[in-house]
Amino acid sequence: MKVAIPSEGPSLKSSISRRLGTGVYFFLADLEAEILECVECPFSEGNQSLGVQAVVFILGHDVDVLLTGYCSPAIRGHLENNGVKVYSGLSGSVGELLEEYKRGRLEKGQAQGQDKVALGKGVGWTNIKNAALRTRRQISSMLPIMAGVVLLVGLFNGFVSKEFVASVFSGNVILDTFLGAWVGSVFAGNPINSYVIGGELLKQGVSLFAVTAFMLTWSTVGLVQLPAEMSALGQRFAILRNVVCFVLSFPIAMATVFILNRFFDGSP
Amino acid sequence: MVQFFSKSEGHPRMKSGGLFAIGVMLLYAILFALCPEKTLLALKASIKVAVSLGAPLLLVSVVLFLANCFIRPAQVGTLLGSHVGVRGILFALFAGILSAGPIFAWYPLLKELKQQGAGEATIAVFLYNRAVKPFLLPVMVTYYGWHYVVVLTVLMLLGSIVLGYIVQLLALSRRNA
Repeated sequence: MKVAIPSEGPSLKSSISRRLGTGVYFFLADLEAEILECVECPFSEGNQSLGVQAVVFILGHDVDVLLTGYCSPAIRGHLENNGVKVYSGLSGSVGELLEEYKRGRLEKGQAQGQDKVALGKGVGWTNIKNAALRTRRQISSMLPIMAGVVLLVGLFNGFVSKEFVASVFSGNVILDTFLGAWVGSVFAGNPINSYVIGGELLKQGVSLFAVTAFMLTWSTVGLVQLPAEMSALGQRFAILRNVVCFVLSFPIAMATVFILNRFFDGSP
Repeated sequence: MVQFFSKSEGHPRMKSGGLFAIGVMLLYAILFALCPEKTLLALKASIKVAVSLGAPLLLVSVVLFLANCFIRPAQVGTLLGSHVGVRGILFALFAGILSAGPIFAWYPLLKELKQQGAGEATIAVFLYNRAVKPFLLPVMVTYYGWHYVVVLTVLMLLGSIVLGYIVQLLALSRRNA
């Protein structure tokens, strides 16, 4: 009996992967032979989806049982058709789950894989611990780029004069909004960085139209990730979505500033 | 907040973020050698910005933690793939708001949902609403104030529905052509 568990780390204390195919490691436990091995996920980014690559990996290792977080119905179907019993919608550490499985404590309902968990249910100590770990990881993954952005903002303030910024942004609403939208489209990343950069641009005298369009396109248009989006969702869809988002940034930016001026105190 | 991690989006992402920060520090070192006074002024300005971000970031951490306690990825996947029509659009809207993490990590799920019949409008609405981030609002409010944040957020939500409508219209006209 071989049990596979996708994991986010190489230790038994590591959390189970929240979604099949996105884990960094795979634990393979042979319960009869009492052999436990941890292998690094051999998946690579490519045209094939990570879920499909996970199926290939699992079937290639003669796995009988899979314990995982979210598993899509299509992937579950492939696995179950090939004789793999799937326990999904799980959370917790690899060691705990393996122990639970060995003691027969994982319920059949989980094997049938209705991954629906009602909001607010199941917030036990393990979940709180996992939530804290996830939060730490999310914040720490944001921090290096944010630190770089904050340092760049300092350089911008120190070296770029307000006169220069004023010369780039002409004061023409349409042109400034276009420029803001264009710059936002080229850059990408966590929206929080666009708030910081936009806020500093505002202090430098750039119009709120341009800053709003910049923040909008920063997070809705992605020229950098366009190839990946085209590969996943189709060329026509990806181009159409990005173009419409770019165009939409104009009326939204203008309406935002108009409403602020008309009904509130105006600029922030 | 719901976040899908993948091998390519986890550690390497952190590494690239670290490299970016180190690159900027190197730029500081070079500029300090050339123009020490202005560079020190720039550093002071950066510290000021960093200090002003401290409290909002703390609040962001608390909101993120609470969201991580109560929301699971399976729920977002369910919201996104199981409804059609107006309900589908509304569910996609909420799923987009609740989702987090790098967009690359969501592409495999979206691709799979599309192959299973999820509409292009639904996916477009989901992707647009990834820009609406309630847990980042403390930082946005610090810079722009409540009025601006509320107005922009409402307009973005409406904009996402317009986007879905346009994408749907174009998809229909393509099918009819």
